[in-house]
Amino acid sequence: MVATEAGQEQGARGWDPLVRLTHWGVAAGVLLNGIITEGGSQIHVWIGYAAFSLLVLRLLWGFIGPEEARFSAFPPSLSAAAAHLKRVTRGEHRVYRSHNPLGGLMAYALWATLTVVALTGIAMAGSPLSEVRADEAATEYAEEGEYGEHKESQEEEAEWLEESHEFAANLLLFLAAIHVAGVGFESATSRVNLVRSMITGERRRVQNE
Amino acid sequence: MKKPSLSTARPARRTMALAGLLVIQSLAAVFFVGDAIADISLNGFNLHIILESLVAFALVLGVMFGAYEMRRTIERARRSERALAAASGALGELIETTFEAWGLTAAESEVALLTLKGFDVAEIARLRGAAAGTVRAQLTRVYSKAGVSSRAQFISLFIEDLLDGPVGATGAEGASQTAAV
Repeated sequence: MVATEAGQEQGARGWDPLVRLTHWGVAAGVLLNGIITEGGSQIHVWIGYAAFSLLVLRLLWGFIGPEEARFSAFPPSLSAAAAHLKRVTRGEHRVYRSHNPLGGLMAYALWATLTVVALTGIAMAGSPLSEVRADEAATEYAEEGEYGEHKESQEEEAEWLEESHEFAANLLLFLAAIHVAGVGFESATSRVNLVRSMITGERRRVQNE
Repeated sequence: MKKPSLSTARPARRTMALAGLLVIQSLAAVFFVGDAIADISLNGFNLHIILESLVAFALVLGVMFGAYEMRRTIERARRSERALAAASGALGELIETTFEAWGLTAAESEVALLTLKGFDVAEIARLRGAAAGTVRAQLTRVYSKAGVSSRAQFISLFIEDLLDGPVGATGAEGASQTAAV
C-alpha cells in the first residue's frame, strides 16, 4: 500500500506521550535532586520515589510500548555503536526509527545508573511514609548502647550505601551532560530538532537550511 | 497539502491523557508496593498487610493493562492517520490535476478549492480580501470551464470520481483488490 510505504519512508517516528512524560519527569527529578534539594531531606526522598516510579513505568513501556519505544528497537550493541561512530566520522548520516546505536547505549547506561541511584536511595530512606518508624528504629538502636555491635554494622552499611548513592548520582549527572551533548550533535547532523520532538512528539526537519 | 490537524489532534490529546493517568497510577503503585514491603519487613504478615499487598498488586496490574491499552490506542491512531493522509493526498492530487486540465488560473483554483471546502461567496471574499463581485465572477468562469452550471454540480463532479472513478493509484489498486476478492 502506498500509505505504508510513505510511512516507512519517513523513517523515524516521533516519541509517544508516555516516553516524553517519563523522560522529562525523570530529567526534572534528577536535576532537582542532584542540584537543588538537600540529600536525605523529605522532599529529596519524595522526588526520588517519583523519579523511580517514572523509570519503572518507562522500563515497562520498553516491553509493551509502540515499536520505537521498545528495547527491541535499539538493542544494546557495542559493534553497532562502533559502526555508527565510524559512519559519523566519515560524515555519513543515517535515519533510525528509534535511538541511534550510540544514543541507545547511553539510554541503557542512564537507566542502569538511575536504578543504582534509586535502589541505594530507597535502601537508605525506606518508605517515605515510614519516617516515624525510621525515627523509632533509630532511637531503639541508640538505646542499645553506643558500643553495640549491631549499631556499628548498621553504620558501616549506611556509609557504604551513602557513598554508592553519591557516586552513582555524580556519574548520572556526568552521563546526562554527555547525553545532552550527543543530542545536540545528532540534532545538528540530522537537521531534526530532537529536543523539540521530545517535547511535541513530532519529528520535523529544521525549516531554514 | 493541508495537514490533517483536526483528526490527529484528538487521538494525540487522548494518548497524552492516558499517559498522564499511567504516570499517576505508577506513582501510586510504587508507593503502595514500597509501603507493603516496608510493612511486611517491620510487622510480618497479618490480614491488613495481605489486603494492602492485594491492592498494590491490583495497581501494578492496572498499570500494565493500561499501558497495553495505550499502545493499542497509539497504533490505531497511527493507522488511521496514515490512511487519512493517503486518502487526502489522493483526493488533493485528483483535484489539482483536474483544475490544471480545466486551465484554471491560480486565483480561480483557490476560489474553486474553497468552494469545494464548503465556503460561500461572502466567506471566500473575506478570506481572500477580495470583493464579493470578483469572487462571483471567478466562480462563474470556474463553472464554465468545468462545464457545470451550479455549485452542487461542481461538487458532485468530484464525488462522482471518488465513488467509482480511478482516484489516483491507491483508489484504483483498492478497487481492483476488492474486485479480486
